[in-house]
Amino acid sequence: MSKSFFVDTTLCTACRGCQVACKQWHDLPAEKTENRGTYQNPADLSFDTYKLVRMREEVIGGQLRWLFFPDQCRHCLEAPCLETAGDPAAIYYDEPSGAVIYTAATKNLDAAEIIESCPYNIPRKAADGTLAKCDMCYDRVAAGMQPACVKTCPTGAMNFGERAEMLDLAQKRLAVIKRTHREAMLLDPDDIRVVFMVAYKPGLYHDHAVASNTGSGISRQVALRRMLRPLKNLVSQLA
Amino acid sequence: MRINRREFIQISGAAAAGLALSSCAGKGGMFSPARDQAKMLQIQDAKETTTICPYCAVGCGAIVHTAKTGDKRAINIEGDPGHVINRGTLCSKGAALRQLSENSERITQPLYRAPYAKEWKKVSWDWALTEIAKRVKTTRDATFEARNAKGQVVNRTMGIASVGSAALDNEECWTYQALMRAIGVVYIEHQARI
Repeated sequence: MSKSFFVDTTLCTACRGCQVACKQWHDLPAEKTENRGTYQNPADLSFDTYKLVRMREEVIGGQLRWLFFPDQCRHCLEAPCLETAGDPAAIYYDEPSGAVIYTAATKNLDAAEIIESCPYNIPRKAADGTLAKCDMCYDRVAAGMQPACVKTCPTGAMNFGERAEMLDLAQKRLAVIKRTHREAMLLDPDDIRVVFMVAYKPGLYHDHAVASNTGSGISRQVALRRMLRPLKNLVSQLA
Repeated sequence: MRINRREFIQISGAAAAGLALSSCAGKGGMFSPARDQAKMLQIQDAKETTTICPYCAVGCGAIVHTAKTGDKRAINIEGDPGHVINRGTLCSKGAALRQLSENSERITQPLYRAPYAKEWKKVSWDWALTEIAKRVKTTRDATFEARNAKGQVVNRTMGIASVGSAALDNEECWTYQALMRAIGVVYIEHQARI
């Protein structure tokens, strides 16, 4: 049974417990930060930061709203990064959980191409070209535990479980929030494993809250690679 | 017609090969993640100790995983699911608890700055503790009041105040205040916030 997240941003208080718990579990180093006039820190995801609570101040209906968006890899059901890489030694699906996993072999990929293929602008590269992002704490999940970000969440904004249960929970919460927030919606629920619910227009929260290439399908580059792959594989087998 | 990669693999008969690959994708396998995560294995074999987060008055429960072998240091700290206050959750400060002990930035040796000196110098624990005890005893004895102005028994010293650390846990705070009360300190403060 595959897993999914449901992220209810209406419950998020931006305590950043998820962000720190993620660093804690993965033993990721701190980043040098500076006061940029926002509580959002660090400024962006990085090779050392897989989870980031994005914060925006927006005036909606004449009222100031502070919008929180705990950003992370969406673990796409059909991941464009995985398709683009075409190399299971570098990017593969962890079968039991459905997590999209990056390995040390991502160093051999064209990092810019992989990053560009992501509809949510998630992967980040190290100085040596290795790529990293959220791994769904698939080691914890395999042991029957919740991902670190979900376990630590004090408000119930982060949820994790069987995909069907999460989609069910998402629909229930959406029905409740819709009563007071007409624009509330689930973001790309049919395509990804990390389903966010927002109360206002998703673009207000984050530029990449929803897939950037929805409707346009896969890029020409990826399509070309797919067409050539059988040939490439055949050649490498013969070699 | 759109053939996705999965269908292509099935068509080309590579599915079996893919399956074989995924079975060796675990830790230490040829497809170990960008950063090898042996942590799960570590905590499965770790000693679990419960504690209370020192950072605020909510008092969330946490579980500390310490290595049973080697240096026996903390390898993970996360919320205690059995704790009635927080049910396994922790905020950002609580989630960072491990850094109280596991942090290369920590000062691990006592430093002493003599009166009017500009520099801190490293001293031994033995010297520092003896010196603190000596000075506390001197001040306490010099300022001890058995009775107040009304003649009531107070057994206190007004010459010492204690400002406890924000990084002391529940048990450490208890021990600390017990010591302070035993010598007659009445100004006992702890820096817990929120």
